[in-house]
Amino acid sequence: MIEVSHLSKTYRDLKAVDDVSFQVQSGEILGFLGPNGAGKTTTMRILTGVLPPTSGTVKVAGFDVFEQPLEVKKRIGYLPENPPVYTDMTVRAYLRFVASIKGVPAKAREGEVDRVAQKTNCTQFIQRVIGNLSKGQKQRVGLAQALLGDPEVLILDEPTVGLDPAQIIEVRQLIKSLAGKHTIVLSTHILPEVTAICQKALIIAQGKVVAYDTLDNLQRAHAGAATADGHAGPTPSLEEIFLKLTSA
Amino acid sequence: MKNALAIAKKELNIYFTTPIAYVMFTLFVVIGSYFFLRLLGAYEQASLMYMRFNNPEMMSRLNFQDAIFRALFGNMGVILIFVVPFLTMRLVAEEKKQKTIELLYSTPVTPGQIVWGKYLAAIAILVCTLAFTLLYPALVQVVAKDPNGVEWRSIFLGYVGLFLLGAAYMALGLFVSSLTESQVVAALITFVVLLMTWIIGWTAAETEGATREVVTYLSSVSHLDSFSKGTVDLKDLVYFLSICAIGLFATHRAVEAHRWS
Repeated sequence: MIEVSHLSKTYRDLKAVDDVSFQVQSGEILGFLGPNGAGKTTTMRILTGVLPPTSGTVKVAGFDVFEQPLEVKKRIGYLPENPPVYTDMTVRAYLRFVASIKGVPAKAREGEVDRVAQKTNCTQFIQRVIGNLSKGQKQRVGLAQALLGDPEVLILDEPTVGLDPAQIIEVRQLIKSLAGKHTIVLSTHILPEVTAICQKALIIAQGKVVAYDTLDNLQRAHAGAATADGHAGPTPSLEEIFLKLTSA
Repeated sequence: MKNALAIAKKELNIYFTTPIAYVMFTLFVVIGSYFFLRLLGAYEQASLMYMRFNNPEMMSRLNFQDAIFRALFGNMGVILIFVVPFLTMRLVAEEKKQKTIELLYSTPVTPGQIVWGKYLAAIAILVCTLAFTLLYPALVQVVAKDPNGVEWRSIFLGYVGLFLLGAAYMALGLFVSSLTESQVVAALITFVVLLMTWIIGWTAAETEGATREVVTYLSSVSHLDSFSKGTVDLKDLVYFLSICAIGLFATHRAVEAHRWS
C-alpha cells in the first residue's frame, strides 16, 4: 500500500531523512519510532504530499506522491504533530469544512461528520468553539478530521499526545479497530503503544533506518546470549532495543 | 471550484465569528458617514449662497453627483487603504502560523483553489463593506424628493470603480499575507504598499511630461475618478484588473513556494 524507496530530504545542510526505504502492506499498522529530531515528522509530511522530497520516491496505493499528488491525497487521512484546527470555528463547522475539501458529497457530509465525531468521542463538545477546548479534545478533533471520508491510508503523527490515560486507551483501541480495513503509519514516543497496537516497527535515528522488522523478530534478534544449557536468552523489551539502537 | 467555494465559506465563517469584520464595517461606515455629512453640509451652504445671491445659472450647475458623490467616492477609496490591510492580514499568515496550512496541503486541494477561495471571501467582505454605504445616495434620494436628484447610473459606476479598487487592494493584501507568518507584519506592509499607491500621485504635480503620465497612472485612487464621473475608461479597467491578476498570481507562487522552504 505504501512504498517508500531511497527517500531523502535535506534542509540546506541538514540531512533530515537519509535514504529511508520501507513498505507497508495493506491493512497493516506500522509503528514509527525514533528520538526527537530523528526525521519522523519530515517523513510523514513527505508521505502525505505536504513536503516534496529531495530525492527518492513514495508511492501510496500505486500513485506517486510527487507525480499524482491529488490521487494520493484523496486516499490519505493525516493527523499532523499539531492538530490542524481553526481555533475560531466550532468543531462541527470545522469537520464540515474538512469533509467538503476531502470531497465528501454534500448529502453525506452531515452523517460522515457525526460518524467520525462518535468514533473519536467528540460528540459532547461538537458545538463548541475549538479554541476553548482542552489539548486532548483538540487532539481528538484532529483525529476525527483524519478519519473523515474513510481514507484507505492513515498517517498519524503522535496521535495520543495530550490525552489522559483513559483516552489513550480509547484511542489505541480505536486505531486497533481500524486495522485491516485501513493501512496505518503511526509515530510515537511511547514504546508500549507500539507493542500494544503495531505489528511492525520502523526505528529511525538521525534520518537513517536502524531497524525495520516485526516486533517478534526484533526481540529475537536482540535477545541476550543463550544460556549455557541451551535456553534462549532473556527477551528484551522494545524499550531496551530502542535505546540500544538509537544511542549509537 | 467546489473546493475554492468551500475554502471561501470557511474564511467567511471565521470573518464573522471573530470581531474583525464587524470592526472594519463599523470603521468604514463611521468614517464614510463623517465625510458624507461634511460634503452634505458644504452642498447645503453652496445652494443657500446661490439662492441668496439669486444665481440661477450656478444653481442649475449644482448637482449631487459632482458636489457630493464624486468627492465621497474618492474619500471612500482612501478609507479602503486603512481598512483592507486588516481584512487581508489573517488570510494566509494565520494558516502558516497555526500550521493549518498542512491540512490544506494534505487534502486534495490545489494551491490555486486555496488562493481563489481566500480571495473570494475577501471580495465578499468588500461587497458587504461597500453595501453599507449605499445608504448615503438612498438618503439623499429620499430627502431630496427630486426624481432627477441622484444620478443612479453614475452612482452605480462609482461603486463599480470602488469595487475594482478594493479588489485590487485585496489582491495585494492577500499576497503580502502569504509572505509572512505574522498578521501584524502583513497588515503593516500591506498598509505601506497601499499608502504608496495613493501618495505617489501627489508627486504628479511636481513633475511633467512622460514622468507625470507614469506617476498619474500608477496612483490608485486617481483611477477612481472617471468612474464616479459616470464614465468607464479602458485604461482604468486595465489598471485595476492587472493589479488583481498580478496579486493573485504572486500569491499562488508564494503558497506553492512555501511547501518547498
